[in-house]
Amino acid sequence: MITRQIDTLIGGPQYAATQSEKDASLTPILRSLCREVAGRCPAYGRFLDKFGGDPDSWQRPADVPPLPVSMFKRFLLSAVPPEKIVRELLSSSTSGQQPSRIFVDKTTAFRQSRALVAILKEHIGNRRRPFLVLDAADSTAAGDSLTARGAAIRGVANFASETVYAMDRDSGGDLSVQWDRVGDFFDRHRGGPVLLFGFTFIVWTRFVLEAERRGAAFDASEAVLLHSGGWKKLADQAVSKDEFSGRATAVLGAAPQSILDFYGMIEQVGTVFVDCSSGNKHAPAFADVILRRPLSLEPVEVGQTGIIEVLSILPTSYPGHALLTEDLGVLVGIDDCPCGRKGKYFRFTSRVERAGIRGCGDTFAQSRELR
Amino acid sequence: MNIQRFTSDGIQPAGDDFAPIVESLGRQRKRIARVPVDRLLALLDDFSRRLLRDPRTAGLEGAMFLGAWLRRGNLRQMLELNLGGNLAALDGFVPQGRNYLAAKPHGLVSMWMAGNVATLPMFSLIPALLAKNVCLVKLASPEANGMDRLLAVLAESVAEGISGAELLKAVAVVWFDYRNQKLNEQMSLAADAKLIWGGTEAVRAISLLPRREHCVEIVFGPKYSIGVIGSKLLDSEDGLEAVVDGFVRDVAIFDQRACSAPQTIFVERNRRRSLGEVGKSFARRLARLPPKPDLDAYTTGQILQVRAQWAMDESKDVIASEDGANWTVCMDREPSLKEAVQSRTIFLSEVESWRQIVPLLGPKVQTVGLALGDIDQSLAFAEAATEAGVARCVRPGIMNNYESPWDGKLLVGELVRWVTLKP
Repeated sequence: MITRQIDTLIGGPQYAATQSEKDASLTPILRSLCREVAGRCPAYGRFLDKFGGDPDSWQRPADVPPLPVSMFKRFLLSAVPPEKIVRELLSSSTSGQQPSRIFVDKTTAFRQSRALVAILKEHIGNRRRPFLVLDAADSTAAGDSLTARGAAIRGVANFASETVYAMDRDSGGDLSVQWDRVGDFFDRHRGGPVLLFGFTFIVWTRFVLEAERRGAAFDASEAVLLHSGGWKKLADQAVSKDEFSGRATAVLGAAPQSILDFYGMIEQVGTVFVDCSSGNKHAPAFADVILRRPLSLEPVEVGQTGIIEVLSILPTSYPGHALLTEDLGVLVGIDDCPCGRKGKYFRFTSRVERAGIRGCGDTFAQSRELR
Repeated sequence: MNIQRFTSDGIQPAGDDFAPIVESLGRQRKRIARVPVDRLLALLDDFSRRLLRDPRTAGLEGAMFLGAWLRRGNLRQMLELNLGGNLAALDGFVPQGRNYLAAKPHGLVSMWMAGNVATLPMFSLIPALLAKNVCLVKLASPEANGMDRLLAVLAESVAEGISGAELLKAVAVVWFDYRNQKLNEQMSLAADAKLIWGGTEAVRAISLLPRREHCVEIVFGPKYSIGVIGSKLLDSEDGLEAVVDGFVRDVAIFDQRACSAPQTIFVERNRRRSLGEVGKSFARRLARLPPKPDLDAYTTGQILQVRAQWAMDESKDVIASEDGANWTVCMDREPSLKEAVQSRTIFLSEVESWRQIVPLLGPKVQTVGLALGDIDQSLAFAEAATEAGVARCVRPGIMNNYESPWDGKLLVGELVRWVTLKP
């Protein structure tokens, strides 16, 4: 029953349901999935016991207690036996930090793949087209585990008629664009529809800035550039989304609305929130977004900023149904985006930053320095 | 706008160069140096009475304590302690055997304040003024957080021969963006003494600023505070509620951001009460606190993370407020200092004996809220803890009460230069 409902939501139109219709369809599925995963993942079971109450009492998606996304770095949260795991997804991590580890079974993998296709086809259409990956081929290297970048590239590759990797790694492991290869790609598909994808910071530093430095510009008026992740590093360099899009379109010779940023994370592969023509991000039919007020944790009103929580009914092998992120966003509206899509729509604003002033009591207790 | 100056008349822009402010403070040096300390104490005594009566300041967080601290008797006692009984040396040479001794001001004291405690600047400013220095005080935040009101009430205070308004001519309270290197350098180079409150990053950055060779530096750096509840107290029928009450007061004031606020409280294993029961006592008391007015997204996220972490780990447990991120009690049996989350987040950690805690202690642990229920045990703990580097062992409920010495320093003593005359 639940399986059919999930598959129907993945296979159907992604942005047609109003928010109240979405709440009504997602709530019982979330109840069932969370209860089921809690039964198979003891750590999540304890979390739900402590903070969730009886799932039957949940009246809306916002009643599901959100699991902080960092818990995937601290616990091995699998709801399936090892032999059922077909892939392990790993987040990128800075040195010394544990990466998130996400255990994906066959059902989840299949749904993630279908879901991503269902979303992207509503933004870029059905047609397969030449695909230029603004990354190196080893990012998607075959194996039991896959990084966030690799997972995203593989997902977008469903729309590829031909795949070309724009970059290689140099001897130091750094990414460098192979401009001859890129030039050849654009020459062969001059003026035709092509698809590009890369991680935002890589696209900016390795491709856009480097192309500008070289004076390289392409005739790719029918190009669509999808990019995701890495805004913090760009914000640190004072690069706004508008500047990114403006300079990327100038390099590609493409239309501004063809640069599509999407919001997503390794803990919810397949569930992405893509920019619409009005610059807003929408939740697909099988997912939702809640922006929660700090302190009270109540959902914010339209126009207000909150901590982003993402909900998804795709996972069956890990507790990834309601995740509290470390990002802030603004709830722009509900059901009335000028682009015509229904449901909530929001904009990412920033990472949740450590408060500037936390005072003399702000010390890291367990650091060696303490001794 | 670069420099923002807080005065008794409000907040005013003050240009982008400290030279005029430093020059004007310099003109006050001789004048303040000649004010007898008794007059200063009388003026501050008047300020203490006014600030508790005045509606502009009476409701400020920490005003009650500040008012008591400013009383003449308290400050006199502090000066006697800080100056080795030579209070009169502040007014000139006093006989010391066959010779003479005097406590002279350094000159200009530049102070970088932490942003955690609204009344904190006063606990540095007043000692520096009693030592007859002129003061350049940089607040951590562009919001006055009550400092403007305190200055206004101080300006209206009077005593024989001196008014608060005159005293404040020797003070400039300012704010500028902490990233403004030029202003930080000017402030540092103007200083005869630097007084720094803050976390690791702030202390390191300010310490690295250029300074004159004679300039002294006094640092109140990042600290961590803990509590200990002993088995003797826990085995007794009563006493726990008062201890919990005290700790919760220490947690609630300044939203646990002060370096003296307890973060981890160790609970000795005992025959009468389980860790869970002690946790419930804390939870009941925390639930009676008025709700927090607001909270930033970062701390909210940190609170939700430790809640989840303590809930998911089967060796741990957590009790949390149902109304959002209001308060949290995390419980475990790991003798370790947990990373401070602040904002009414207490880590209770069960240990066999307080002796297990001693290896965790060091100079970065400032205050221990001590409730062992036995004076001999308390003395033994205090000996071991202070030997390891701890600055204070006090009963729960007064952990945040600023006192002298603080962080091992007698502040007024450090804000004067001892000079001698051997005729």
